[in-house]
This record gives sequence, C-alpha cells and structure tokens, in this order.
Amino acid sequence: MAPTGALTHRRELRRAVRQLRARGLYVAAKWAAEQLVGLNEKTSGGSVESKVDNAKVKESGGIELRARRTPAERAEAGVEVEESEDSDQDEDALLLARSYFDTREYRRAAHALQGLSGRKATFLRFYATYLAGEKRKEEDVVDLAGPLGKSDAVNLELASLEQELSSLHRTSMLDAFGMYLYGVILRERDKHAEACVMLCASVNSYPWNWSAWLELQALCTDPDIFHSLDLKDHWMRDFFVASLFLDLQRNSEGLARYQSLYLLFPGSDHILAQTAVAHYNLREFDDAERLFEELLRVDPYRIEGMDTYSNILYVKECFAALSHLAHKSVLTEKYRSETCCIIGNYYSLKAQHEKAVLYFKRALRLNPKFLSAWTLMGHEFVEMKNTPAAIDAYRRAVDINPRDYRAWYGLGQTYEILAMPYYALYYYRRATQLRPHDARMWCAMGQCYESEQLQIYDAAIRCYKRAVNNNDREGIALNKLAKLHVNLGRHEQAAFYFRKNLERMEADQNESQEYVDALLFLGNYSKNNGSLDEAEIYCTRVLDYGGPAKEDAKAMLREIRSVQQHEDTLLSMESERSTP
Amino acid sequence: MRELGDHHVEKLRAVVRDCLGKHLYSSAIFFADKLATMAGNQTQDLYMQAQALYLGKQYRRALHLLRRHHLVTTDLRFRYLAGKCLEEVKEWDECLLMLGESEVDEEGNVLMLDDQDTELLDKDAEEREINIGAAICLLRGRAFEALENRARALRWYKAALKADPYCYEAFEHLIDHHMLTSEEEAVLLNSLKFDSEDRWLSLLYSCRTKKYGQIPVIEEKFQELEKEPDESRPEEYRVSCSLKDNNDLIACRADYLYHRGEFQRCYDTTKALLEKDPYHLNCMPLHIGSALELGRKNDLFLRAHNLVQEYPQKAISWFAVGCYYYCIRQFDHARRYFCKATTLEGAFAPAWLGFGNAHAAQDESDQAMAAYRTAARLFAGCHLPALCIGMEYLRTNNLNLAEQFFLQAKSICPTDPLVYNELGVMAYRNRDYETASCWLQKALQLAPPFTEAWEPTVVNLAHTFRKLKSYPEAICMYERALSLFPRNASTYSALGFTHHLQGNTGKAIDCYHKALGLKSDDTFTAEMLTSALQEECLRLSSAHDAEFYSLSGMPHIS
Repeated sequence: MAPTGALTHRRELRRAVRQLRARGLYVAAKWAAEQLVGLNEKTSGGSVESKVDNAKVKESGGIELRARRTPAERAEAGVEVEESEDSDQDEDALLLARSYFDTREYRRAAHALQGLSGRKATFLRFYATYLAGEKRKEEDVVDLAGPLGKSDAVNLELASLEQELSSLHRTSMLDAFGMYLYGVILRERDKHAEACVMLCASVNSYPWNWSAWLELQALCTDPDIFHSLDLKDHWMRDFFVASLFLDLQRNSEGLARYQSLYLLFPGSDHILAQTAVAHYNLREFDDAERLFEELLRVDPYRIEGMDTYSNILYVKECFAALSHLAHKSVLTEKYRSETCCIIGNYYSLKAQHEKAVLYFKRALRLNPKFLSAWTLMGHEFVEMKNTPAAIDAYRRAVDINPRDYRAWYGLGQTYEILAMPYYALYYYRRATQLRPHDARMWCAMGQCYESEQLQIYDAAIRCYKRAVNNNDREGIALNKLAKLHVNLGRHEQAAFYFRKNLERMEADQNESQEYVDALLFLGNYSKNNGSLDEAEIYCTRVLDYGGPAKEDAKAMLREIRSVQQHEDTLLSMESERSTP
Repeated sequence: MRELGDHHVEKLRAVVRDCLGKHLYSSAIFFADKLATMAGNQTQDLYMQAQALYLGKQYRRALHLLRRHHLVTTDLRFRYLAGKCLEEVKEWDECLLMLGESEVDEEGNVLMLDDQDTELLDKDAEEREINIGAAICLLRGRAFEALENRARALRWYKAALKADPYCYEAFEHLIDHHMLTSEEEAVLLNSLKFDSEDRWLSLLYSCRTKKYGQIPVIEEKFQELEKEPDESRPEEYRVSCSLKDNNDLIACRADYLYHRGEFQRCYDTTKALLEKDPYHLNCMPLHIGSALELGRKNDLFLRAHNLVQEYPQKAISWFAVGCYYYCIRQFDHARRYFCKATTLEGAFAPAWLGFGNAHAAQDESDQAMAAYRTAARLFAGCHLPALCIGMEYLRTNNLNLAEQFFLQAKSICPTDPLVYNELGVMAYRNRDYETASCWLQKALQLAPPFTEAWEPTVVNLAHTFRKLKSYPEAICMYERALSLFPRNASTYSALGFTHHLQGNTGKAIDCYHKALGLKSDDTFTAEMLTSALQEECLRLSSAHDAEFYSLSGMPHIS
C-alpha cells in the first residue's frame, strides 16, 4: 500500500502541474509531473496499486466537485478560485497570449495581455516581458561576446519590471507566482536579502513551484542565510532542504533526507539522481556509478545530470564507458550543455585539451550559466598552461555559484602556479570553508604557507595537522609535517610524524624515497637519543634499498657498532671494577 | 422707410458678423464698409469695420480708419485695436504711445492709468469676458519684450495677470520663458484674485509652475484636479469639475515625472498623450528630453524627422534633431542643430542649454559658457544656466567662481536637489567634508526617494562619510546606492575600501572581487585587493583555531 499522504500528494501535484503549465513555468511543471509519476514504484507490481489509487482519486475528485468545499480547502485552492474570475473575453485574450508565449514570441504575448487585469494575465505579462528581455540578452551575448563569452549584456527590462512589481507588492497585489518572478528579478539586481524574503513568501503560499525553491537554494550561499528563512513546513520543503544540503556539501545529511523522501516517492528519478550526486560528492564513486547506471536503465534518454556521471567515469578512467555515454548522448540530443560537457570530458581524458575546451565552450554558448562547464574548462586551461583563461573561467564559475569548491580550489592552484600565494591562500580558504573535511585543500593551504614568499611555518603545520586528522589519503601531510619539524629543529615531533608516516606507508606497501628518508631520520634520531637497538633496526631496513641512502645507512651502522662496542667495553670494565 | 432702413442695416450687420464668423474676411470688409457708410459712420459699425480689416490682415488700413475717425481717443477698445495693429506692423514705440503712458511697480500693480473709462461697447454682462485692461497690459508687456526691455515687460505681464487671472497668455509667457524664480512664481500666484468657483484654474496654474522638490504638495494638487466632484467638501474648496484626462494636465504630470527623474514613466505618459494629440507641442520638449535620457535613439530619429517635416520653422523641431545627434554622441551635429533652434526662437530655453551641453561634452568650455550665459540672461527665472556655469567652473577646477554660481542658482531655485548636490561636490573638492555632507544630505531630503536618478548623490554622500571616518554611515549609504543602481563596479570598490579602512578585510576582499568581476581593469581595486589579501593572510595565520579552521557553526536543520 502507498504510505499515507500519498493521496494528498498526488492531488496537490496534479493541480500544480496544471497551474504551472498555465503560467508558462514549464521547468517547474516538468519537475512536479516527474514527482507525480514518482509516487509509484516503477515495477509491474506497483502499477496495479497505483491504478487503485488513481481510481480513488478520481472518485474523490468527482465528489469534491459536487460538494461545497470547506473554507480551508478553498483557501488552499485559492489560485483556482481566482482563475474563474476572468471573464470570457479576457479568457480568449489569455489564450491568444499563451499561444504567442508558446511560440516564443514574448513581446507579442506581453502586448496581447496589456490591459487585462486577472492575476494570471498579469503574471503572464510580466513573465513574458522578462523572458523577452532574457531572449534579447542572449542574442546580444552572441553578437557582443568577448573571447570567453564575456559580455556586459543585461536584461534591459529588469529595472522597469522591478519598479512595477514593487509597486504591486506594496499594495499586496502579488500572488505567489508574482512574488516568485519578483524574487528572480531582485536576485538578478543583486538585492539578495530582499529576494530571499520574496521567494520565501512565494513558496510559503504556493510550495509546489520547484523553480522558486531552486532560486531560493541559489541564494542560500551560507547556512546562516538558510537559518534566517521563515519557511512553513511542507513536504516540498523536505525536497528543498535535501537539495540544499548537497549544495552546501553536507552530503551525508542530504543523503539521509533523500532516503526518507524515497519512502514517499519510490519511483522518483529526481531522488535517484540526487542520491547519485551525493555519493559522487562523498567521493564514493562506485556507488554513484551504480546509481547512474540504474537511472539510465529506467530513463534511457535522460540528459540531465549525466555530466556528473561522465565526471565519475573520467575520474575512474573508464575510457570505453565514457565514450559510450558520449555517443549515446549525442544521439539523444546533440546540442545540450550536458552533452557537450560529456564530450569535453571524453577528449580531456584522451589528453586532447584543445578539443575539450572547444566542447566546453559550446556547452557555455548553449547555456552561459552552466556551472560545471566553466569549472571543467578552467581545469583544461590549467592543463594547457593558459593561466589567465583558467582564472577567468573559474571566476565565472564562482560567480554563478559561490559554493563550487572545485572552482575555488582551481583558482587557488592557478594562483599558486603564478606564485601569488596570498591569492592562492584566500581561494584555498574558500574551498576549505565549503569542505572543511577535505584533506586535499588543507594540504594545498599548507603548501602556500610554506612558500618562499610567506614562510609562515606554524600556520603550515596547523594546516597539515588538519589534513592528517581528516584522513589524508595521499599522505602528503605526514611527510610534510615531519620535514617542517625537522627544519624547525623540533626533532621529537618530527620523529613522531615520521613514525606515523612509516606506519601509513607500510600499510599501503609504499616503498618510495619518502620511506627511506623516514627510516634514515628515525635511525639517526634514535641513535642520538641513545636507543641504539632501535636505530639499528631502522638502519638495517634501509640497507634493502640502493642509492646514496644505503651508504649513509652503512656508515651509521658502523658508527652504532663502534658506540655499542665502546659501551660494551665500558660496561665490562665497570663490572670488573665493581666485582673485585 | 426709417424702420425699413433700420431693418436693412441690422441685416447687413448680421451679414458682416457672419462673414467674420466664417472667416470670409474680404466679404466682411466689403460689407462693413458699406454698412458704415449707410448707417452714417456709427462707432459700433466703424469698430466692426476696423475689426474686419484687422482680421483681413490690412493693419495699416485699419489703423488709418481708426485714426481718421478720431476713435482712438474715445474708447479703450479702439485704442487696444489700434495697438494690436501697430503690434502686427512691429512699430513697438508707436504701439506703446498709442496705449498711453502708464506706470507699473515691481509687483505689477498699475500705479497710474491715464484714463478711467472702462465703459465697453457691446457689454454683455452675462458672459465672462477678459478684462480689456488686462489685454492692454499684456500688449504693453509684449511691446517691451520686443524692445528687449525685459524688466518692464515682466512687470506688465504681471499686471495683466493681476487685472484678470483668466489672461492665460500672460501667464504662459511668464512661465514658458522662465521669467520668474520659483519663489516669485508662488508670490504672484498668491496675489491673484480668483473667484471661488475658479479654484481649478488656480490649481492648474500652480501645477504649471516650477516643480523642484515639493513632492507632497504637487501630488495633492494633481489629485484634487483629477478627482471627481466631491460633495462632502465645503463649497469654497471644491473643484467644480474634474480635469482628469485633460491633455494639459497630463502634460503637467509628465513635467512633474521628468523632474522626479522617472524618465520611463514620463516617456510613456508623453507618448500616450502624443498619440491622443500629436500636435501638443507643449509636452514635446519633455518627450524628447525623456527619450534622450532613456537613450531611445530610434524613436528620437523618427520624431525629429516628423517634426522637421511638419514644423520646419519651429525651434522644437530642430531641437529634436539636435537631441538625436546628442544621443548618438555626434556632438558636432548636435551643436549645429541646437544653434539653428536658438536662431529660430531665441526664447526657447532647452535649445540654449542643449547648445551649451553639446559644447561641454567636447570640453569646449568657453563656448559652453557663452551659451549658458546667454541662457542666464534670457531666462532670469531659470536656475539651470547658472548651475551649468558652476559645473563648468568646477570641471575646470575654478572652485571659487563655481561656488558663486551655485549660490546664485540656489537663490533662484532653493528647492532643486541638484544644486545642493553640486554644492556638496564642490565642498568635497575643497576637502571641507563637514559642509559637503550637510549639502548632500539636504539634496537627498529634497530628492524624491528611491529613484535611480539620485544614485550619484547617495554615492557622493557615502564618499563624504568615508572621508569623515564615519564608516558605518558610509557603508549604509553605499549599500543604499547599490540597491538603487545594482552591479556598479566603482560602488563595490568604494564599499570594499570602506570595509578595508575599518579593518574588516574579509568583507573588503568580497567587495573588491565583485568590483573586479564587473570591471577587471581597475588597477586601484586590484592593488587594494592584493594588500587586503596580504593583511587577511597574516591575520588569519596567527588566529585562534576556530577562526583559522573557519569552522562556522553548522547548526542542526530541523
């Protein structure tokens, strides 16, 4: 049986799809429809149940039409009540405008709606004007774009729309959709606090508009902002919180939320995809890969999110699978940002960086706000040693989403290459703020502090310690810590870290120069401390390796022996003296 | 026989009147002449004949007729008609002589009339007529204006309006030619004696006057004029009928919007008005001005073309052409056409200012100043020329002279926020930041709130606060400026600098980044960013663990 609540969810979502479609909010409508279908499990067994559910809903819907609604229900359906206010004539004009809207003739649509007073008409007019401005902006970008697609093109409608919407808002004439649009415009005008308030009001009065939640998510760059939001409890809020958690890199918490949502929406592709992304963020690539494969099995023509899948294949260096995915995506839809990114990843894996950049650029032409393409393009430019271009690309990425730690990290790396450690340090810090438990960033920061210009070794040590505490897989930190302590003359601490590093390397069966260095230092250190037996053990282990270290070890061993002999004689002499 | 003759004469009189009504002036002259002879040169017939001659543009003949019958001395009406004839033939001194000696004081109170006979022909008490004395005053004013004696012309216009508030032409002259300062305008309007049922006219007049910085008062007046008759209000305060949707009132409102800096709304209003009445030239300068502010060059182009075709002899047409070239930043052409506009109509103020601005835009200070000075001389009641001169001096770093002119502008129009903004800028340049902040705050008090047009003043005030080391206030102002005009690199940069001065390097870095994101070639910001990053790095490297590891609290989300 479906869990309780599924029935109301279904009813709400059905209505939401209709209302969103009527206002041209297609993305949100698509999302709502996906969740509607996701209420049922996608197995043959489940479909029978769902049919039963459907029948029930139809029945109850029929009753509802005949019966008078309770006031509470009417309030909930407020939008529908208002819809019937429009007279027939207005309805015809609205139909015409909608037709223009659907054929992407936004200005005509807005003009056709001039003078209509219904809330739906008003919203559609504003929205059409906004989209007209956006369309114009995109065209301008194509005309005026600089070498990296950078341009000053702006949506010229924003200022006047903001004025009109704010005056409507002051007289509280805005419905939830109007508030959503107002929020979007405020955000584009860099008025983030006001935009937050507006979008909150919108989702509180109409929670089913996923686009509004996404806008809100984009504004929550900081957990504090989220805590200042005044959000009513609703199951849509759970979707939002889960998605926000992933964005804020609190992946395990997000994962838990998705698991509980999964119980309600067992067939939701959205949840599946987001779970996969969470695993990817947690660097659990195998799990993520498995989930993406599952997703593609259920929905073979899905493009959304497949660029993340290609990232996983890239990291795992699965040439064949990545190639297959690229070909498949091209067949499904060639000119999609995601497809271009997948192809870009493929070329990057084959070390054809110029071609990769070409495809990332194409992705960005299709959608200049496509975050991962900017970041990936930055990586390619770093590979090609084109640092200015890399910086530009990374910057665009963090402009779009300041929570993209990969871009911050990339910026840090690039500035490190440019020997500008102050800059690098700042960007690495931003990255660590987003992923405080990621050892890689702490190591990078440590390196910066060590650099010639800074030489702030204490701070470097603090960073490396942090890395060690956070499971530094590459093991850079321990060695660095040990060496730093050597340089600072703190031999005791150095020995401590060399020992730890030895343990780690032994566990990994890693026998590199680092290993030898550690052994040598420890040998020397033990010898100086008087624990000659220990020193002997370390030195003998060095003898298994060639090179100058071997000679050093031999010399040290000889020294140890002579000391030992000397001590022995001393000992025997003393014993002789004491026992007359 | 006698009665028959009377009947005959009456019939002829009716014919002449009808001819005049139907603009058949030759016929009117012909019949009036016969009528006068037949009826034995009665004065009323002779007046009619003279009137017909005047309307038929035979001014000298009319004058001769009036003189020959020695009519000019007998009656004010004849004298006025004779004066009008002399006006048409541009014999101004003669005209003044004809109207007789008379004196008027500063405020337009007539001191001495040489004749008191105000007895009128055909007096029809039931209909409202314009006082003949007012008409004569107006004619005197015109004559003096033509003789370039502005001071006396001004007095006589005032006298005309005082004699009869319905004498709109006098009012129009005073306002359109910027003859009065806003204070003087208010004094004059208060001194006019309106009948209680003419409140609408008094309101409408006061709406036409200068509109700087008195927002609530003007709004109220508009509302009252547009409101449907309201029975509940006391009789004497009630406006008899609504002027809602009247074209002139809409033009007034557009003027008001223009002064508030709401150019888009002004443009929309005037555009709608010009669709209703395409020849409403009064609102044309506003329409063109707002189109220029909005950079609508395509609309300007078409409008200018049409105007030149329809009114090649009007200054406004060439002014529009000049504005188009100004808009596309071809200042040479703009100058030429503004100049043409000023030669066609010397009394067209916008063209003079445009002429000056076009010069100033090309750094040609001297010519710009010359244009502004002419404007200042022609339009004594308009503070803009003085203000522009001051701005030019400020630009060329001549602060003392600049101040002089700004103060002059302030005395002409004490309610324009722009004057105070400029005074503030000047004080800022003088490093007198206390004074600067006073002036700028005054400007913001007067300026309409929350309009993009006053964003620079907000930024100026923020700079001043920063210089005064009141950083929190400065930050508050910068943020306000950003809310008025978002995505401005220099504001972000200045905001970052203020944070930096406060020692808040983290926020400073954020702002510098934003500024560089919007404008990447700003060396000042780039340098400041580097230094902020260094400070931040050194500060953090010795910070406490919590801050060093930036463990911002991640409270539990329910």
